[in-house]
Amino acid sequence: MNARAGVALAWKNLFRHGRRTIITASALAFGLLVYIMADSMLRGIEVDTERNLILYETGAAQVLAEGYLEERDLRPLRYAIETPEEIESALEESGIKAVARTTFSGELIVFQDPFPEDGSVQVTGYGIDPSDDGDVYRLEETITKGRFLEPGEDGAVLGGWLAEDIGADVGYPITIVTRTRGGFFQTLELDVVGIADTPNPIINRYAVFVPIDTADFYLQMEGAVTEIAVAGKLRGVDRALTAQMEQELASFPGVDVVGWDRLAMDYVAIAQTKNSGSSTILFFVFVIAAVGVSNTVLMSILERRREIGMMRAMGLYDGEIRRLLLLEAAGIGVIGAGIGIALGAVTNYFLVTNGIDYSFWLRDMDAGYRITGVLRGVWNGDTFASAFAAGVIITVITAMMPVRRALRTTIVESLRTD
Amino acid sequence: MKRTATGIIGVVIFAWTALPVAAADLTAEEIVERLESNQVQETNHATATMVVRDRFGERTSTMESWSKGRDVTLIEFTSPAERGQKVLRTENEIYLFYPDAAELIRLQGAALRESMLGSDISYEDMTGGKTLLETYRVELLGEETIHGHRCYKVGFEARRRNAAYPRQTVWIDTELFVARRSEQYALSGRLLKEIEMDRIETIGGYTIARRMIISDALKRNSSTEFTLDDVQFDIQVDDDLFSLEELSW
Repeated sequence: MNARAGVALAWKNLFRHGRRTIITASALAFGLLVYIMADSMLRGIEVDTERNLILYETGAAQVLAEGYLEERDLRPLRYAIETPEEIESALEESGIKAVARTTFSGELIVFQDPFPEDGSVQVTGYGIDPSDDGDVYRLEETITKGRFLEPGEDGAVLGGWLAEDIGADVGYPITIVTRTRGGFFQTLELDVVGIADTPNPIINRYAVFVPIDTADFYLQMEGAVTEIAVAGKLRGVDRALTAQMEQELASFPGVDVVGWDRLAMDYVAIAQTKNSGSSTILFFVFVIAAVGVSNTVLMSILERRREIGMMRAMGLYDGEIRRLLLLEAAGIGVIGAGIGIALGAVTNYFLVTNGIDYSFWLRDMDAGYRITGVLRGVWNGDTFASAFAAGVIITVITAMMPVRRALRTTIVESLRTD
Repeated sequence: MKRTATGIIGVVIFAWTALPVAAADLTAEEIVERLESNQVQETNHATATMVVRDRFGERTSTMESWSKGRDVTLIEFTSPAERGQKVLRTENEIYLFYPDAAELIRLQGAALRESMLGSDISYEDMTGGKTLLETYRVELLGEETIHGHRCYKVGFEARRRNAAYPRQTVWIDTELFVARRSEQYALSGRLLKEIEMDRIETIGGYTIARRMIISDALKRNSSTEFTLDDVQFDIQVDDDLFSLEELSW
């Protein structure tokens, strides 16, 4: 039997055993669909987290005073950049958008009337420049109540979840107890002017934004800031950007340039753990798909032992029969994988455009990811290509063993099979 | 903040003492010097109880402490929840030991501002260092009666920015030179903490306040009550007690 006749016969057999073909292809298609969905969501979480970190929390990279990074969790004001304007100018001259911020820790204290009850909560304060913070961050776009900050005012914008937790509304007075740069206890008496619902849960849960000149006055910063953040790409660490910044700032002693990944070590640590976990999840999805496919391929070949015996009795060589059956398996793989990635594409379209709303679950979770509610998938061509190729290969490989077993049986035994 | 900066807190923890001294027409500096001269013994050993009250309820911790001179103190918690936890204050540093983790931690920088066991006392309140007069400019604001005792009202204003409280007012007993009340303010002028001292007794030749209540002026129903249950002065205390090796035993 020549190759063309073999392909034609295999193709014909696919439709002659239509029900078997559909069952086997369906198992494969379902496995690949789950694989594509899982991969899309897992990658989507990473993409959203990185974007929400960069746009709302860290910028693409930051300039910090030497020593600050090691104690960053404690928000020490003693490591400050003394000449932020000069650094901002140097960066902007080379086309890098930069904004200064002063970050401090404090205890937010509220009193009953107008608040529902007395209370206090640890917060992170951000002194921001209302006029150019938008060059790097997207905070202003997320104001859902009230307004954005104005320079010099004793006003504050609260993260949405924080406002919800303490029962804050626009116009309510708040007190923040903190320390000045030198170490004095200090209180900031502020009015809530706005509430920001950002997609970053850390900002939503803990952030209080005040004008940077207000922070400068109360914290005795005398023009110094804790960080200068820059805009950059929203996916992955922009090494070219940090290298350019280091070059531009070579003449400024006592400052470090750090990418966003070093400012979000909690996320980086969990992402590394997740990556190995994700690989395991995807591996198991594949194993389940392979088991389903191999089972149906096995059954379809064993059911055809009589037919195989007949073909051998008619003089077909084992090699020709093996090629025929493996071609049939490959055909099933192509059909199943094709259906799988087609269904995956349709499903992924909805995951990418609409996503799945997990806000009820994520509201109380603090797992390092910067996502607040709707988890969206992403398009990844490599996943579709590898799913298709793997689907076909798995089907052919899983067909090899039952084919071999069927061909080991004598013709007489094969023909006796019911 | 330096121990001397908060003054009252550190003093009561490490045995606040005072000797009766006749005084007339003293300047603020002289009053504070007498206050300080009565705060430090050669050695002391004490057991104490700390009750922290806040909106979550009431928590009681007990502890045993040893100190030598002005700057070296060891506290070991004895209450069940914290049993075995130790705080060692040496001349320049504070170390914590957690028996469950068998871990020794040196506190530094902003970490010193953390609260000790959720109380109104921070670790920096316990750090040694400069005297009150080195840290603060003082001014005699007059005399007032506190709980029936005549007191000097002394204003403290920080000389440098690394003190925790830029301004304090302390009421010092005119006869015993022991503080009976203190108020601590933020840079903005807002009252942050009020401290009341009572149960003043003379033990072993020293006059001490056996109870101190620290109230957070910004939080209703939030206070820390610190009581010296038993105290001994000028006893034999082995230097090895204050070593890092001993801390982790």
